[in-house]
Amino acid sequence: MIGSPSAPDRLALLPDALLVGRAVDGDTAAFEALARRHGPVMRASARRLTGSSADADDVVQEALVQAWKQLDTLRDPEAVRGWLLRITGSRSIDHLRRRKLHTPLDGLEERLESPPAGRSNPESAAVRMSGTEALKAALDRLPEEQRRCWVLRQFNDQSYEEIAQTLNISAASVRGRLARARITLAREMEEWR
Amino acid sequence: MSSTNNRLECGRSLEELSEYLDTGEISDPGHVAACPECQAALDSIGRLATLEAELRDQEITEAGSGSDDWMQSILNNLRLELRPGRDIPLQPEHPGDVLVETEGAILALIRSVTDAVPGATTGRCRLLGDVSEPGAAITVDAQVAVFFGEPIAAVAEDVRTEIAAVLERQTELNIAAINVTVVDVLTQPEPPAQEGNQ
Repeated sequence: MIGSPSAPDRLALLPDALLVGRAVDGDTAAFEALARRHGPVMRASARRLTGSSADADDVVQEALVQAWKQLDTLRDPEAVRGWLLRITGSRSIDHLRRRKLHTPLDGLEERLESPPAGRSNPESAAVRMSGTEALKAALDRLPEEQRRCWVLRQFNDQSYEEIAQTLNISAASVRGRLARARITLAREMEEWR
Repeated sequence: MSSTNNRLECGRSLEELSEYLDTGEISDPGHVAACPECQAALDSIGRLATLEAELRDQEITEAGSGSDDWMQSILNNLRLELRPGRDIPLQPEHPGDVLVETEGAILALIRSVTDAVPGATTGRCRLLGDVSEPGAAITVDAQVAVFFGEPIAAVAEDVRTEIAAVLERQTELNIAAINVTVVDVLTQPEPPAQEGNQ
């Protein structure tokens, strides 16, 4: 190598579009900087969609491999975050489909393995749930197809059209499921208040 | 929210109002603005939205920082394919030998010398022209970001000079032009603390 490899600290300062340009040219360090920057939201989204921390990390890894391969197809390099989240959404849904095929006897979706800290603590279990705790519980009670729409909208910030593509349903179905999810959640949250 | 069949007594459906919050579009905005029922429903979905955003932020924080071990372990498993690009022939010392360097290697060279220019950093870089044809005229297009406070024209000129020098030294390309485009001005050359999230 001539000169020093791209210093990670320096790359962490660069805007997305510049990192995308370098990564398209083959700079793996620039791609890793993008992964570090957007990894946490990808992981959070994949955890919500798959309901499993272990599966979520597999999904993030698959999504990053796909992103590296397809990076030159990204038309607007500034929009890389949304693009990574769309890939994360698709990979999560694929993961769920595969899991369903492999566990035909168990129709129930496994939920996040680790309950939130507050819930496992007997002392605070008696205390009133926080708003976000109550929302989590309400989300867990939603029908699976509504919850998927909700996550793709709220966590991945996808448009109705994009959600429709990810889930292979019509935009009108997305609109309906999302509305039903919100109505249910809003009612449950009013009761919680 | 009081409603039957998810339709308010005023006739609006909750679907329409939910979409209105996402897109800002609804068939009769005048009605919605004046209708107490619609406003109450929007308030309710709006309060939910605040909580939803709070949950999202909380779970992103819980996911950990991109500089933590979990991400390192994912990155270690990635094994990203190289991007060699086109083969660029070199004149062999012995006739009959075939010598090539890859476009990807040359782009990496360009990045390494331009990153060493104080005040600048390179983005996308392209070799335009038929690099596989010895002697063909090649134009270099380089995108550069300059740190705030640096003299842009002087930095761009330094970048140009460095690219010319490294290509002269390391390749046999016939460089017709080197275009340097300053695409961004960056603030904060030295961050006080590194942060995983943007």
